[in-house]
Amino acid sequence: MIIKTFVTTYLKKTCNERFISKIKRNVTFYQYSTHLYKSNKWETIIGLEVHAQLNSKTKLFSSSSTSFNEPVNTNVSVIDAAFPGTLPQLNTKCVELAVAASLALSGNVQLVSSFDRKQYFYPDLPPGYQITQHYAPISLGGKIFLNQLDGLEYDTMVRIKQIQLEQDTGKSIHDIVPGMTLIDLNRAGTGLIEIVTEPDMRTSKEAGLTVKKLQSILRTIGSSDGNMEEGSLRCDVNVSVHEHETPYGTRCEIKNLNSIKFLMAAIDVEIERQIKELENGNKIVQETRGFDVLKNKTFRLRTKETATDYRYMPEPDLSPLILNKDYITRISNNLPELPDDLKTRIMKQYGIPLHDVIVLMNETGGVKYFEEAVKNRNPQHVSNWITHELFGLLHARNIKFSQNPVSALQLGSVIDCVDNGDITGKVGKKIIEKMISGDSRLASIIIQDEGLRQLSDINELEKICKNVILQNPEQVIHYFCFDIYFLNLLKTLFCYCS
Amino acid sequence: MSLEWANMYSAFGPAYNPHTIISDQKEPIDQELRVAGGSSGGSAAAVASGMCFASLGSDTGGSIRLPASYCGVIGFKPSYGQCSRWGLVAYASSLDTVGIITRNVHDAQLIYDIISKYDEKDPSSLPPKLRSINSSLASFDKTNSNFTDLSKLRVGIPQEYYVSELSDPIKSLWKRGISLLRSYGATIVSVSCPSTRYALPAYYILAPAEASSNLARYDGVRYGHRSDMDSKQDEKLLYTHTRSEGFGEEVKRRILLGTYTLTAGSYNNYFIYAQRIRKMVQSDFDYVFRRPNPLHLVKNESSFCNCNNDEIFEISNKLRKESHGVDVIITPVAISTSPKVKDSLSSSFLSNSDNTKSLDDSFVNAYVNDVFTIPANLAGIPAISVPFGISPIDGFPIGLQLMTQYGDEHTLFYISKVLENNK
Repeated sequence: MIIKTFVTTYLKKTCNERFISKIKRNVTFYQYSTHLYKSNKWETIIGLEVHAQLNSKTKLFSSSSTSFNEPVNTNVSVIDAAFPGTLPQLNTKCVELAVAASLALSGNVQLVSSFDRKQYFYPDLPPGYQITQHYAPISLGGKIFLNQLDGLEYDTMVRIKQIQLEQDTGKSIHDIVPGMTLIDLNRAGTGLIEIVTEPDMRTSKEAGLTVKKLQSILRTIGSSDGNMEEGSLRCDVNVSVHEHETPYGTRCEIKNLNSIKFLMAAIDVEIERQIKELENGNKIVQETRGFDVLKNKTFRLRTKETATDYRYMPEPDLSPLILNKDYITRISNNLPELPDDLKTRIMKQYGIPLHDVIVLMNETGGVKYFEEAVKNRNPQHVSNWITHELFGLLHARNIKFSQNPVSALQLGSVIDCVDNGDITGKVGKKIIEKMISGDSRLASIIIQDEGLRQLSDINELEKICKNVILQNPEQVIHYFCFDIYFLNLLKTLFCYCS
Repeated sequence: MSLEWANMYSAFGPAYNPHTIISDQKEPIDQELRVAGGSSGGSAAAVASGMCFASLGSDTGGSIRLPASYCGVIGFKPSYGQCSRWGLVAYASSLDTVGIITRNVHDAQLIYDIISKYDEKDPSSLPPKLRSINSSLASFDKTNSNFTDLSKLRVGIPQEYYVSELSDPIKSLWKRGISLLRSYGATIVSVSCPSTRYALPAYYILAPAEASSNLARYDGVRYGHRSDMDSKQDEKLLYTHTRSEGFGEEVKRRILLGTYTLTAGSYNNYFIYAQRIRKMVQSDFDYVFRRPNPLHLVKNESSFCNCNNDEIFEISNKLRKESHGVDVIITPVAISTSPKVKDSLSSSFLSNSDNTKSLDDSFVNAYVNDVFTIPANLAGIPAISVPFGISPIDGFPIGLQLMTQYGDEHTLFYISKVLENNK
């Protein structure tokens, strides 16, 4: 078993290296990759509409606080509930976060943008309209690059059409009380940015990686947590297929996807469905569909056949948003290191592999934590302790990394003690668990106080071992017999393989 | 003590004009009940009948000035943005203005000085910087302190307001007002506001459109009336029943009209056109008045923001002297005196009438009453209705309207006092 895994790992490693080096030699820059022609005939066109909740303390147009998973209807002001006589007040922090997002995505921040009302009736939309930016959004253009650093075997680019500020709606919960819809307005009025891409993606993998890249960028600059599972990032995807060199086909929108995995799966089954329909001679109807995870199929959502008329009207309560160049320059200068630059630098500076960097980057503040803990220590060890141990222990206890109680100093002290041989890795892990539970002492202090120091003095160890052997003669005999059998087994296996 | 008055026309019937009851005119007055006007009719009636010292109202298209004229009291609409709209039930956000109804100008000015403050909760509230620039601008009231000498005053009479529907008592009262000002030395000038005839239709596109949006929140989900009717088969029915029951006929009419003009096909043809007309109405007034409009000054000359108060006064005084414009415009407020209740109500008996043609006419006729008051709302300029006389035909009050440039409330109060002292 050991040999089998050893052999396969060796083969995998060299094959990957050979493959990657081959690509490096022959790489061409595909503007919009046309990979994966299904049976050399069909091309898939994919576009994304991403809604990311802004990381502001209060909502976009009211001073009630933003929230996640708080008791229902506890963060609702009279403005959020659209009481008569209430007026919106723009939260400038949200503007800052939106401008930062635009700059990080190489967009053009518009010096003048304005707000509009998108009007429709629904119980989770208290005023009967959503304040958005339909006619003049805050940012136009932009791009996301994908390459090997992101896990794609080739290079490609996804253009961004626009970024706009808008309000989030409340939540409608249909399945708790039968026959009734429960409304939670905690989320109503939270600031969102909607990022619309051009239909530049050609495979579900490209779409998935684009979302991942977007998450990474938004988290790095702090504009959004970008968490699909928690709802701070929502993606709608538009998919169409067409035969090579014919016009683009009719697209279908897929909504309510709450993980990247499901997003990619949904795209794939939708492509299959559309190709099948077209090959059967049917037309694709433009509609909005959902994704059934269990059946692995998309299905039509309960929507009207005709497109809704949202009766967009300029928001009369808000004057146009006018930004000056100094404001934008200031935000640009304060932008942290963007993901691509960060990845390259960390790999180069510390010599840790791409995979580790990605895991560190997946947690907001992870890289910063690593860089603090790595001072004067072995980077690979530090990376392993964080990514293999700390993250896992926190996750097991449902603690978000942003609430991590173990300071970099504390973790560093554990690593030092293990590297020095004072304690084993196992004991180190236990000490970290203590620290997570609230112990704020450094490892060295804990070891001292609780006598956890590992014995490494040979003479002492010999003494203890002799003692144990003398006290347990039966077990010793069993062990020796088994040992010989095991040795023989190994010998046979080696002969078989060579 | 402040009284709250809800002019619940739909629920409790019309607010009656108290002049029917309290008038001490020697001439015989028509004893049939008259309306107080709309929509701040209750407020006007309360002040006119002596129930309170002053009352607040909202003026979107004349709804303070019209009832003030009908009831014989002062109805003052400030410049848009002077008084905060936080707490005002929104009808048409870009037109709604909180206004004051009192028995005399002095009281109106008293209340105005208290409530015209910057409010950060209202995004359309005029910011402190602009208020400061505005108060530094040169205007008539700064150059004059003698109420009997108006030789430095230029008064404009907009030709387009002389419409055929004007009743004779109103026409003669208008002339009397003009003569009064002339007798104190004011220069009377005929001016032209060419966009006036388009103002009324533009208003009746824009206001219902904004209203249809602002009234969308009344769905019975979070507050207010909720229908008891069964809505289990379709969630939309809760909204349908609640709104059908809760809104009056005229409101429903305007919501439907507003919704229509915002639909994708109509937006460019109606809404956008109306906005353009609105801009034209604003520039008409900017051309007519000689005091510069502070909003446009700041927009066009950003260096203005860095000047100190004296510099601002000098620059604006120079502009004012060079201009051929006027300081104030004087016009009627309404086409007639307060209508009878039975004439006003006939338009709401939709289902009962057989003659649909006359019904359409009566809706539109009701709208025509706003023709003199609407331009001030479209442009956001201050306007006031001053009671100036009694109709010799029916004995009911008639008011005259004064309008000045944006932010020039002091001149408005000044001239109103002159009219008031001589009615």
